[in-house]
Amino acid sequence: MEISLALLKPHVVRNTYALQQLKTQIETNFNILAAKDLRITKELSECFYAEHKDKFFYYRLTSLMQSGFCYAFILQSESCIQKWRNLMGPTKVFRAVYTEPECLRSLYGLSDTRNACHGSDSTVSALREIAIVFPEFDISRVASQSK
Amino acid sequence: MISLKVWQFPKRANLCLSRQYTTKSKRVVLSQDQDKIKNYEPKTTDAHTNRVYVWGFQETGALGLQTNVKKAKERYTEMVHHPTRLQFSNNNEITDVTAGYGFTAYAVKRSDGQTLFGSGLNTDSQLGYQVKGNKKDPANLDVIIYPTAIQLPRLQGETDEDMQVKSMSAGRAHLVVLTQNGTVFTMGNNSYGQCGRSIIEEERYSGSALINRIAQADICGADDELVAVECGQDHTMLLTKLGRVYTCGWGADGQTGQGNYYSAGQITLIGGDIEKERIVRIACASDCVLALNEKGDVFGWGNSEYGQLDDSADAVTQICTPRALQLTKGLGKVKDVAAGGSFCMALNDQGLVYTWGFGILGFGPFVEQTSKPQHLLPPLFGRNDFSNATTVVSIGCGVFHMGAVNSDGDLFMWGKNRFGHLGLGHKKDQFFPFKAAINGKALKVAYGVDHTIALCRPHI
Repeated sequence: MEISLALLKPHVVRNTYALQQLKTQIETNFNILAAKDLRITKELSECFYAEHKDKFFYYRLTSLMQSGFCYAFILQSESCIQKWRNLMGPTKVFRAVYTEPECLRSLYGLSDTRNACHGSDSTVSALREIAIVFPEFDISRVASQSK
Repeated sequence: MISLKVWQFPKRANLCLSRQYTTKSKRVVLSQDQDKIKNYEPKTTDAHTNRVYVWGFQETGALGLQTNVKKAKERYTEMVHHPTRLQFSNNNEITDVTAGYGFTAYAVKRSDGQTLFGSGLNTDSQLGYQVKGNKKDPANLDVIIYPTAIQLPRLQGETDEDMQVKSMSAGRAHLVVLTQNGTVFTMGNNSYGQCGRSIIEEERYSGSALINRIAQADICGADDELVAVECGQDHTMLLTKLGRVYTCGWGADGQTGQGNYYSAGQITLIGGDIEKERIVRIACASDCVLALNEKGDVFGWGNSEYGQLDDSADAVTQICTPRALQLTKGLGKVKDVAAGGSFCMALNDQGLVYTWGFGILGFGPFVEQTSKPQHLLPPLFGRNDFSNATTVVSIGCGVFHMGAVNSDGDLFMWGKNRFGHLGLGHKKDQFFPFKAAINGKALKVAYGVDHTIALCRPHI
């Protein structure tokens, strides 16, 4: 089975109701392999978002992630990456509220940057991101189990 | 002798069991005793001129309608679909309201000297340090369901009058209050410096008793005076009598207008095109800022990803220095401005409401994007053959919805109906201005992210 990384961004973690709703959604839809709250440091966020380094929103994104505690999950299910991305909805919240009003980002996102959550976009990035956020997690164990 | 005993008995009962005695006995008042009965005038239910209506998402406690958690669970509604009168406003003289993300603050006049109340999310201590009623259990309250006093730290000699709220504004997770004596109080999240103090790495905001106090003279000097405060989601702006603008907080979209994209904990005077202008109003609900000078020209800075501030071919999406807007030229003299998440509004001296940007702009069943301000027709705001003088007097917007108040005190709203914050009685979006069913004339409307608060006075 596929695994993916889900990150709940600081502004959602501060809203007790939204956090609870997001956790419920995750628990009902996925098998959670690991979960923790963590503080994303400058180094961690630069490493995490290295692919966006030249984008105009890079500083905005990294400073948002550093602004408080995040909540991270390693999710597991059939076609996990796509499933979580479908639940989250489009990145841009201002558009998502009209195109997909029921998705998590429409419900709990506040702006295109404060868009509630993050999900890996491919197997490669899932493995890379999990290695950054959960350095203590042994991916090979999961891989061998699923075989 | 016997009669004396009979007299004594009820007297004693009156002393120790008075309540039981009086409730159980039924007596007819003799006409000779009638003038001995004191004439008791019950307090009228509402002696106050202002009343507050609230609607939208209730789960955060921001509406302050519930008094009891158990009762709330019995009559469970996560949204309040219709404007509902706030009981707290029956007992208190409310002078101002402001709405943040999942919380609300009320400025009040009370005999006990409290001037500021709040309800809703308090996970970043944006409503001050609140503890549970039981003093042995000083656990911090993360969610406050009924308006609770926020203690502003006073210097010796500061009176209740000094502490009355002059202006206040709430951001995503911080609250800024300007009092009559010119002191600025900031509380809540400061991870971007939005509270006007240095950013402390890994500061814990939950359960924090820290309220930052800044004297007016330390911000704008002794020859000027602060008149208003306006918060974006994560930044703060202060406006002075001479029309200068001071900012702090998150600048990643340029919303602080300080000429860079960094976070700033230091409150700084901003320049650019507004340097020599006398600014009279600033508006911001998210990351895009509009400002208005006394001549009625519009200026803007911050996020412009939806073409709100600039529609030229080489337009940038983030503007970090205040700029005179070209796209509002031709609207005439602008009287009021409002800026939401992805759209902007302006009101001109003809009473016409202009909208532009991305979203439900009020022109019919479409979600649209335009950088050209277009005006909504006056009949949508209550003008008709019988009241053809009716015109819009103020506008405002939240991150996802817009609103306008006309000269009759009617509130009209349209936009995304997030968690029912348009107060329509249903969850569908509203594509053109629609009157809110409020039993009063709107004086001020606070547009939150998922709730709306209207300060009203009675019709009569």
